[in-house]
Amino acid sequence: MTIKNALRDHGQRYRPRMACLKKAEKVLLEMQDPCTGVKSQPQRLVITIIPHAITGEDIIAWLADRFQVEAQEARSLGSMLVSLGYIYPLQDHKNLVIKPDASLYRFQTPYFWPTQQWPVEDTDYAIYLAKRNIRKKGMLELHEQEQYNHLHKWMNHKWDFIVMQAKEQYRAAKERKKPDRVVFDCQERAYWVVHRPPPGTVSAMDYGPERRTDPNADETQTPDDYERIMIFTQQSIMRPRVKSSVSIGALVKYCSTYSGHDPFLSKCLPSNPWLTDDTTFWALNMPNVEIPTKMRVERWTFSFKELLSDPRGRDDFRLFLKKEFSGENLAFWEGCEDLKWGTAVAMKEKAEHIYKTFLARGAPRWINIDGKTMEITVKGLKHPHRYVLDAAQTHIYMLMKKDSYGRYLKSPVFKETLKKAICPDEHRFNEVQLEQNARNRRPSLSPIIIRQQEQEQRAKMAASAPVDITQLCRFTTPVPHLAVYSGIPDPPSATASPSLPFLAHTPVCPSPISVALDSTSASERRLEASEGEGKTEAQAPDGGSLSKSRMALSLRRLLKRGCSPSAMFASLSPKCHTAATTSSRIQPITPEEPSHAPPRRIGK
Amino acid sequence: MPLVNNKVGDDCTASGDKALADGQALVDSLIKVVACYRHLASCVGGSTDNLQLRDELRQTREKAQKLAGDICNHLTTHLRDKSLPEGQRKEMELLWVAFSSSLELLHVDMCKVWNMSGIFSLADSSSLVHTGVEGGCSEVAARALSLPDMNEAETKTLPEGLESQERNTMELEINQIDRMIDDMEMKVNVLRWMVEPHGPQYADPLSSTDSASMALVPVDEEQQATGSQALCQRSHIFVLLLLFGVIFVAATLSVCVFLFS
Repeated sequence: MTIKNALRDHGQRYRPRMACLKKAEKVLLEMQDPCTGVKSQPQRLVITIIPHAITGEDIIAWLADRFQVEAQEARSLGSMLVSLGYIYPLQDHKNLVIKPDASLYRFQTPYFWPTQQWPVEDTDYAIYLAKRNIRKKGMLELHEQEQYNHLHKWMNHKWDFIVMQAKEQYRAAKERKKPDRVVFDCQERAYWVVHRPPPGTVSAMDYGPERRTDPNADETQTPDDYERIMIFTQQSIMRPRVKSSVSIGALVKYCSTYSGHDPFLSKCLPSNPWLTDDTTFWALNMPNVEIPTKMRVERWTFSFKELLSDPRGRDDFRLFLKKEFSGENLAFWEGCEDLKWGTAVAMKEKAEHIYKTFLARGAPRWINIDGKTMEITVKGLKHPHRYVLDAAQTHIYMLMKKDSYGRYLKSPVFKETLKKAICPDEHRFNEVQLEQNARNRRPSLSPIIIRQQEQEQRAKMAASAPVDITQLCRFTTPVPHLAVYSGIPDPPSATASPSLPFLAHTPVCPSPISVALDSTSASERRLEASEGEGKTEAQAPDGGSLSKSRMALSLRRLLKRGCSPSAMFASLSPKCHTAATTSSRIQPITPEEPSHAPPRRIGK
Repeated sequence: MPLVNNKVGDDCTASGDKALADGQALVDSLIKVVACYRHLASCVGGSTDNLQLRDELRQTREKAQKLAGDICNHLTTHLRDKSLPEGQRKEMELLWVAFSSSLELLHVDMCKVWNMSGIFSLADSSSLVHTGVEGGCSEVAARALSLPDMNEAETKTLPEGLESQERNTMELEINQIDRMIDDMEMKVNVLRWMVEPHGPQYADPLSSTDSASMALVPVDEEQQATGSQALCQRSHIFVLLLLFGVIFVAATLSVCVFLFS
């Protein structure tokens, strides 16, 4: 479909990088001067003689003389004129360069000059291809054939017109004299070689996106413009501001931290692949490499974000958390990321899966977030969307950052990785080796394959997910009457009753978890249902005596309350934290914490 | 639409067909004129640019505009006529598409010529580009104007000072075409994606003698480059040998006849 505006916009499409066209035209006009211009000679074809052919060496000599430059530069200037389409070669018409010998060229007629105002139209191209087909069937090359078919599909409605116009142009051309006909054919062919280059050739007409306004034209300010300026400045005043000392300080700190890691500002070990064509650097820094480089490990110490964003760092952190039996935090965080960035189709299932695995009461890998966040999240999960787990994710992220990250940096896992990290030597290539590297360049693994590998790894990890010890405990078997997304529907009695069998069983068969749970209140028990694990094994002998009394107390409290679970959580959690922790939101359950648990519970 | 009895119906379709044929003829001639105009425009600024060319351009332009005006009226009236039967409407729409495309091509060519005539003033003939074209385009102009000979249409040469006036006229004409295109779009709503062409995807190649002579010169350079000339030479030699063989046989037969008779 013809875009009307394109044809009638009187040059409103501007190609900013084509400012050279006007200058090239001036040079062209100078070349025409009969006295000082380029000397022309007639071209002899089989029967006809066509004038105004110029040799490549003449052009180059003229350019060198006119601009007082070296022959090499004149040659590249001449090649530019040819590639832009102002001069076309008579032999070897597809190769748009100037050859510094007696090969012949001719000036292109101004109708076919590439100036800014006239965009090259597909209709014209279709007519040209149809004309060539009329002249001799099967004369179109493969890429032209493809283009022809493509245009036939796109401009189907005017195909009759195109064919008719091609025929008429062909017949009109036959009215002309033979040499002129030949010249016109050459001109048209040269025009289309420039503007529809065969695939694989570099085109000088690649000028990037077109602009609707002329960047060189004067801008007139309308009242509407001023109004917009006013609105913009008003909004800028209302923006929150930071003291420049603070922001500059942050910038300076960032620069000083990262300057050693910037391949532009400092050395890139072993060598910058873009400069030396040696891909060792990339091979050493692959996402799933066994032994990371020292620089990479150093980056992990800059901030938690760095650690998490580097896949190798995340693996290391995961290993550390596995040793500490708090891997569910990272797993939950990764699940939330997956939900946020995944496809919309799988969103509902993913949210459900995450809820079942991490958030539900009695979930196998239950994470410890405060009551309010849990309430918001569970309520939001009724109508899941991409960011429904955002609050919980932020909570867990801050939890990991404030607590686990610090311990990770002091942990033996990290120290081990740091010790094993390699520091490659710098490459020192000489000229010959550099050339050899350039010759041996090979494409890297296709990103499709890399993505497949990542997916396989993820599947493997999901299959062999860390089986937390709590999974074996009856406390963590999913309670059947609890539906997913139950939110706050369950009557308190229902919640109380499941706890009863739990509590009833504890004296009978004291599993390690039960002992641990005994040392905390019932509410904490629920929160920690999956959390107990081995870390509390150590605490087992400690809390044994206090267990029964506290158990009974908490049970009575539960039955007295009869309120909804989440409200119960909410009401209980502040009470539980009178002593130690400052914020009621964070209840970090870490190996050290259970030891604090008994004293905390005492103060109710 | 009033009550239609058979007689009136036949008349309607007959008149509709006639209108269609008229429209087709007009559009065909417009396409021809636009094609010729393009050829003329390609000579502007080149070595054969002269007053005569500009004059021919002007005449072709006028003819094109006249045709365009006629077609516009014709097609607009028919397409706005709601009583047009479906088949004829489709044909009319095809004509409409062809007409609008020709107008667009004409518009582009006119803009280019206007631009180039600004750059290449005939007063300064030293800056005309040596394009290698020698002969004029009078025959093409004659074809456009449907005249047997250009001499009949040759008018007095324009005096130099009227070049700027000519440019102004051209500007007006371009604006006029602009407005015509706008009006067309406003008055008649033709859904371009509903229009289906009749013709084949590939235009039929014209007579082979033409193609042979046409193929000779421009492709010749490539043939020299690709070296397929050897093949041609071989085929030529074969033909010559055959000819000689035939002549030889004829000669021997005649000698035998002479000897034996």
